[in-house]
Amino acid sequence: MKQQRKVALPRYGEYNCVLKYIVEQGFEAQCILPPPLSRRTEELGARNSPDLVCTPFKTTLGSMIEALEAGADTIIMVHGACRLNYFGELQEQILRDLGYSFEFINLSLYNTGKIKDILRALKVINPRCNMVKAGRAVYDAVKMVEHLDDTTSMYYQNCGFDPTGTYPKIYRKFISDMYAARSLADIQEGYRNANHAFADVVLEKNPDPIRIGIIGDYYTVMDPFSNLEIEQKLADMGVEVHRLMNITNDMLRNSEKNKQIIIRRFSEYSMGASSTTDIWQAQNFAERGFDGLIQVKSAFCMPETDIMPVLANLSREYSIPVLYLTYDSQTSDVGLMTRLEAFFDMLEMRKKVAP
Amino acid sequence: MEETGGNRIPAIGIPRALLYYRYGTLWEHFFRVLDVPVILSPQSSRGILDIGARLAPDEGCISLKMFIGHVEALIGKCERIFIPRYSNYGYTDLFCTRYEGIYDQARNIFHTSGQRFITCNIDVMNGSPEPKAFEQLGVELGFSERESRRAWKEAAGALEQEQRANDRLQKELAGKPGMKVLLAGHSYVLSDPYLGKPIRDYLEAAGAVILRTDALDPITSRKASARFSPTCRWLVSEEVVGGVMLWKEKVDGIILVSAFPCGPDSMTNELLIRRIKGVPVLPLILDIQSGMAGIETRIESFLDIIRFQKGEMV
Repeated sequence: MKQQRKVALPRYGEYNCVLKYIVEQGFEAQCILPPPLSRRTEELGARNSPDLVCTPFKTTLGSMIEALEAGADTIIMVHGACRLNYFGELQEQILRDLGYSFEFINLSLYNTGKIKDILRALKVINPRCNMVKAGRAVYDAVKMVEHLDDTTSMYYQNCGFDPTGTYPKIYRKFISDMYAARSLADIQEGYRNANHAFADVVLEKNPDPIRIGIIGDYYTVMDPFSNLEIEQKLADMGVEVHRLMNITNDMLRNSEKNKQIIIRRFSEYSMGASSTTDIWQAQNFAERGFDGLIQVKSAFCMPETDIMPVLANLSREYSIPVLYLTYDSQTSDVGLMTRLEAFFDMLEMRKKVAP
Repeated sequence: MEETGGNRIPAIGIPRALLYYRYGTLWEHFFRVLDVPVILSPQSSRGILDIGARLAPDEGCISLKMFIGHVEALIGKCERIFIPRYSNYGYTDLFCTRYEGIYDQARNIFHTSGQRFITCNIDVMNGSPEPKAFEQLGVELGFSERESRRAWKEAAGALEQEQRANDRLQKELAGKPGMKVLLAGHSYVLSDPYLGKPIRDYLEAAGAVILRTDALDPITSRKASARFSPTCRWLVSEEVVGGVMLWKEKVDGIILVSAFPCGPDSMTNELLIRRIKGVPVLPLILDIQSGMAGIETRIESFLDIIRFQKGEMV
C-alpha cells in the first residue's frame, strides 16, 4: 500500500486547524503543521523571494520551507484575485531551485471556474479517498471556520475589558480544541465551552468605549504574526476591536455585488481583490459611529494601495480618523506601538471634546 | 455636430499613460468615427510625473503616478476625462488590479475638482464584454447603439491592423544584421517618452537592433505564455512572458524593463530569470529618482557582456 501523504499548507492565522481537519478526517492523509511563524520564517522567505513582491509571499514561502523541514511531502497553495494567483507557480519554482523534492498542489492551476477541476485537485491528496466522507469533512470544516471567526471576533471585542485575565486562557483553550477536534461534535463542544466560559467573565466595560474598526489585505489583517498582534495590542489599551474581514464574512457569506451598490458613491466598480469588501467595511464602521479606522496592509499590496484615496474621502465625509499602516518584513514592534498609542490618545481626546 | 464652430471645448480628454499605449488606437479611432472631439494630455515629462507623485498614493507604481499626472493635466480642459476600466477578458485573461481600480481611484483623487469622468467597463466575467462596453459608452455620449457598435467595429479593426503591422516590422528587424536586444516590458513603460525612450535612444546610439515584446502579435504571445507559465493570467504580462519565450533564441540579449514597484513584473520577471538559460538577461527597474547615468552604465556593461559572448570583444 502506498504511504500516507504528509500534507501542509503555509501558516495562515489560526486557519491551519481547518485544513488539518479536512485532510485528516476527510482525506485520511496526514497533516503537517508548519511551526508557528517566527523571525526565522520571515528571514527564510525574504532571502529567497524577489524584493518587490508583497510580504505575504515572503512569509508563506518561509512557512513552506519550514513545513518541508518538518517532514511534509505535499504542499497546498491557494489562489486568489490579485498576485496571489501567481504565488504558487513562483514559489514552487523557488523551492525546486533550492533543491527540495515534494509534490505541489497549486490550486490556481485548477481554478478554471468549474468545481469539477477543484475536486480533481483534491483527489491528488488521496486518490482512494471517499468523496462522501470528504464532503462531510468539508461541511464540518465550514462550521469550524464560522465558530473560529465568531469566537475570535468576540475575543478581541471584549478581552480589553476583562479584569480577571481569563479571556486569553479561554481563547487559547478554544484554539487548541479546534486543532484537536476529530468530529463535528468536538467542534461544537469546543465552541460551546468557550462561549459559556466567556459569558461567565464579568466585564468592566463603560457604556461608550473607544471602538476601532480594522480593515486590510486578506493575509496581513487576519494573521496575528504578520500584523504584529495589532488587535491584542489595541485590546490591551482598552479598545473594543472590530474586524469584519475574515473567511466567514468574506467567503462564506459574501455578496460583493450588493456591497458595491452600497459603496457606489466612493467606488462604482470593484477595484480588485479585497477592495470592495474593505471599502464597504470602512463605510459600515463609519456609519455605526466608530471612533477610528486602521488600515493594515503589507508593503506593495496593490489593491490596498489603490483604495487609499477612497479611504481618505470616506474619512473626510464621515469625519472618522484613519491610521494607515504598512507592514514589511523588518517592521519592529516598537514603532508600531508608538503609532498606536498616539492614535489612541488622539481618539480619546477627540471623544472628550466632541462626545 | 456642426453647431460647434472653432472654439468648442473638446468633449473627451484621454490621459496618455498606462493602457493608452496598448489600446490608444482603439479609443481614438472610436471617438473619431463618432466625430467626438478629443484632446490628449501632453507627452510625459518630469513635471507630469512629479505632479502625479504628489497626488497618488506613495506606494503606487511609477506608472500609476505618471497616469495621475496626466489626468491632472486634463482637469478643466475637457468636458469629461475618459478612463476605461479594464478588468478581464474572461477567466484566463485578467488585468492587474491597478487598471481595474484606476477609474474609481482617479475619481476619488480629483473628487473636489468638479471634473466629470467617463468610463468603459470591460469585464467579461461580469457580463460586460468589449463590444457591449463600447456600445454603452457610445450611448452615454448620446449616440445610438448601432452607431456605437459600428464605431467599435471599425476601431477594433484599426487596432488589429496596427498590431499586425507592428508584428511585421519586428520580423523585418529580426532579419537585420547586428546585435539584437529584446526589450521586454509593458508598452506604457517602453513607449513612454520620459521612462522608456532614453533607454531606446541609448541602445540605438550603441548600434543595437531593438526588438520589443509589446510590438509582437499579442495572440501568439499569449499562447506561448500559457505553455510556459500556465497560471500567469495577467493579459499584458502574458504578452511579455510569451514574447520573451518566442524570441529568446533569436536575440543576443534580453532587457526586462519594469517600473518600480510593478506588482505583476515583480513575479513574472523573477520566473523568467529563473527559467531562461543561455541568454544574458538584464532586469532593469526604473525609479523616479533615477537619472540616466546609472541606467546607461548598466546597459553599457550589459552590451559589453553580449559582445564578449559573441566574441567581438577580446
